[in-house]
Amino acid sequence: MSSIMASPGGLSRRHFLGHMAATALSVPAAQFFTDLRANAADVRKKHRSCIVLWMSGGPSHLDIWDLKPDSEKNGGPFRPIATSAPGVQISEHMPKTAKQMHHLNILRSLDSKEGNHERGTYLMHTGYVPNPTVVHPGWGSSCALELGSQMSDFDLPHCVAINSPGAGAGFLGMSYTPFMVQNPNAPIANLKPPGDVDELRLERRLQMLSQVENQFIGQRRNQMAVDHKAVYGKTIRMMNSKLKNIFSLDSEPAPIREAYGKGSFGSGCLMARRLVEQGVSYVEVSLGGWDTHTNNFDALSKRLLPELDLGMSALVADLAARGLLDTTMIVWMGEFGRTPRINQNAGRDHWPRSWSVVVGGGGMKSGQVVGSTDKDGVDVSDRPIGVMDLIATMTKTMGIGIDTQYTTPRGRPMKIVDGGKPLPELIG
Amino acid sequence: MNSRQGRRVGRGLRVSAVAFATASGAALAWAIFAIPILATAGDRPASKSSTASQASVSAAGNFLDPLLEAAWKEAGVKPGKPASDEEFLRRAYLDVLGRIPSVQEARAFLSTREADKRGKLVEYLLNHVDFPKNFATQWTTLLVGRSPQGRMVDRAALTAWLRKQFAADRPWNEVVYDLVTASGSNRENGAVNFTLAHLESEAVPLTARTTRLFLGQQIQCVQCHDHPNNDWKQSDFWGINAFFRGVKTEDKNAPNAAGLEAYDHTELHDEPSNATARFEKRNGMMGVAFPTFLNGVKAGHGDGVIRRVELGKMITDPKSDLLPRAMANRMWAQFLGRGFVNPIDDIGPHNVPVNPEILDKLADAFRDSKYDVKQMIRWIMTSRAYQATSLRAGKGEVSKGGDRDDSVFNVMQLRPMSPEQLFDSLLTATSAHKTAGGRDDAKREAWMKQFLFAFGNDEGDEATSFQGTIPQSLMMMNGELMKDALSGKSGSFLADVLEQAQKQGRAPAPYMIDQIYLAALSRFPTAKERHAAMQYLDAFPDSLHVLQDLFWALLNSNEFILIH
Repeated sequence: MSSIMASPGGLSRRHFLGHMAATALSVPAAQFFTDLRANAADVRKKHRSCIVLWMSGGPSHLDIWDLKPDSEKNGGPFRPIATSAPGVQISEHMPKTAKQMHHLNILRSLDSKEGNHERGTYLMHTGYVPNPTVVHPGWGSSCALELGSQMSDFDLPHCVAINSPGAGAGFLGMSYTPFMVQNPNAPIANLKPPGDVDELRLERRLQMLSQVENQFIGQRRNQMAVDHKAVYGKTIRMMNSKLKNIFSLDSEPAPIREAYGKGSFGSGCLMARRLVEQGVSYVEVSLGGWDTHTNNFDALSKRLLPELDLGMSALVADLAARGLLDTTMIVWMGEFGRTPRINQNAGRDHWPRSWSVVVGGGGMKSGQVVGSTDKDGVDVSDRPIGVMDLIATMTKTMGIGIDTQYTTPRGRPMKIVDGGKPLPELIG
Repeated sequence: MNSRQGRRVGRGLRVSAVAFATASGAALAWAIFAIPILATAGDRPASKSSTASQASVSAAGNFLDPLLEAAWKEAGVKPGKPASDEEFLRRAYLDVLGRIPSVQEARAFLSTREADKRGKLVEYLLNHVDFPKNFATQWTTLLVGRSPQGRMVDRAALTAWLRKQFAADRPWNEVVYDLVTASGSNRENGAVNFTLAHLESEAVPLTARTTRLFLGQQIQCVQCHDHPNNDWKQSDFWGINAFFRGVKTEDKNAPNAAGLEAYDHTELHDEPSNATARFEKRNGMMGVAFPTFLNGVKAGHGDGVIRRVELGKMITDPKSDLLPRAMANRMWAQFLGRGFVNPIDDIGPHNVPVNPEILDKLADAFRDSKYDVKQMIRWIMTSRAYQATSLRAGKGEVSKGGDRDDSVFNVMQLRPMSPEQLFDSLLTATSAHKTAGGRDDAKREAWMKQFLFAFGNDEGDEATSFQGTIPQSLMMMNGELMKDALSGKSGSFLADVLEQAQKQGRAPAPYMIDQIYLAALSRFPTAKERHAAMQYLDAFPDSLHVLQDLFWALLNSNEFILIH
């Protein structure tokens, strides 16, 4: 069944070639093809992965990464502390992560216009604002397509989302939809066939299934028929794989489990490490509850930050210790930041105008702060960073050509990176 | 664009469809094909050349067809080729009843050679007891979502209320009016639950859902800022929101089974109000909105004014085309896989329809039919677009324009079943519920929850179907329901097939194979498929295992789960 790991057949995918047609004059063909081959080999060897720590609800950046102790109105009760990165300070409630900051960078000047959860989530996952004419693929799905297709002999899904479904694959189709792990502390449901179905019967079932699937596809219908088979192919492959126990944390030593924390976020981070170790391209781990319109400071100091601090710091330290950090990019983000002004309920509201994202690993430079906001945290005072700049940085770090583009079902081109530039502060 | 204005058709000679005594037992399922169909295709003027304007729901007299044909010509695509009987049968059952046909139903339709059997099938389905049930299920999801609601929302009462409306053929404008204005006990008046479900956050969710569902307008984005792509302003959102300012709720207790006072139901009522909706603008200033409809008309003042009643009147104002257009586009999308406008509830000048004229005509016809939902379904299902096959013409890869061919409705889209369709179809095919003591709503809910991965989506919305994820495939392959379905226990479909086969005088194998194909795929096996299955049965002594495996394969296939 492994032969049915289909590439996106009906999807007319242009990749570099489409771009070349547009810029034929600027890139000599010979050089273009050499680059292409070199690039593929390079990625295979270096085996890049990305872990996104997704903070759903819109985390309060001003109380985590960009504290304003000198702002009387907006500062809030938290104090900044020094970190392992010279001159970089973060919240006192992130003491363990503070010791890992030399591996990470804080981008303090994100700037978007989407202050609605749904739209902000879409924007941060795809790089695009929602548009009625097309459903953009999540960046993770594009990643799975680009990097996964270079490692066709692979038993696991290339794109995994832990604790929440992540972004969809948009027009790339269902075979690039993230594999969702609902609860990293529980076994994957239904992974085994029922007891009375032995290997012989499973084989017979798959033969029979293959016949009817192929016949239906052969009758020429739309892409969904092909995608269905591809998903089943991946599923069956995983069912039969030696790696299927990768989703069980039981074999991890107790001190490791403790270090990450045994909640769904900590366990998700540990699972993410296990997955990238095997070569999964994109893993997203969610931690929800950041929509702190009321009692922001209590929620952060008692509940959210301790859990985040444990999981995030353990993940960075563990990846570094295993030599995986150079090839694994970490991105911490949510759909927007929160208002500098503290409302009458001791909460902060939605704020997409000036906020923070944290990135590191994957061969980036580290230990830096890029961009800044003013004294009260209201406006970007230096180096505004657009969401597409972030996407460009992530794309380049992963070794994916930032010129990569697809053709949407309506026949229009869609670039993975549309108008953004990788941040030179992070990429040499 | 305004051509529809001058062509309003006079009130119709609508002949209501004959309500057939609904076939309650499957054994009666095909009896209807012997009954002459008296329902009319309706009050639309057939094209002048047509002589079939009376008493027929067949494709021949459908007013949509000339428009579709013109659209195909203009787009330079080949006209839709008709679907086979098998294709049509399956999609019609799924779209109208929310499930695949049973073996008996499939056999009845496929074997009859009556004239206009498709038209008759449409009529049969629209009069089937599962039609109001299916539409009530769908609209419950649209109105209050799939995730379990708080105790305030009596989902079952809402579903029961909707079922009554669809069973009674209530005009859509009246149903909508009732949903928008309902008050009283949420247990006795199920319609109340729509409003109850969305009152949190100053009724912001109610504002968004009301305009999306009934008017096809997405104004939720302008809650926080004016819209960049269309004309909506922040004040438009809060103007609608202000209509909900007088709504009050009260929880009522009553003695429970143990004789203790406990929560019983919630009462909802309106109080006359002069309150405005206040909102924060981007610049930090406060805005104030009076109850104002999307066309700028304000609600009246004074003691007797109930704001939701005012809103209900404005939404259903016969002079406004928002309501019929929204429903026409939604119904078209439900049956064809895509709306004229997509997303289907974002209609407006900023989002040009694929075939504006067809949408206009369908919406006008719907209004002129007095918002007759069944009549609209008849028009859609008997149109050449709905009758088109999902097989693509020609050879080779999808043409350069991607799926452009599909966008003008000359080829039927493949669509994934909704979870409800999938569940009910699995039960129809396998009788899994009969092995475990009846169709159990709690079991269905548990299954759905697992299937949907309900948690994690903060917006808790309806936009989920078979996404083709690995966990969903695992559930289909190895899950509990499939185990029950294939168990071969007494009462199950497989047990019945084996029993029937033994009673037969002639060779049982071909009969068993036919039954399994009909049950799962609503068609007979091809010669090749039959031969292959026979070989398996010959080669392995345990025929139950072979049949189980074959059934498993068919139920897991793309052909089963995709509506085609």
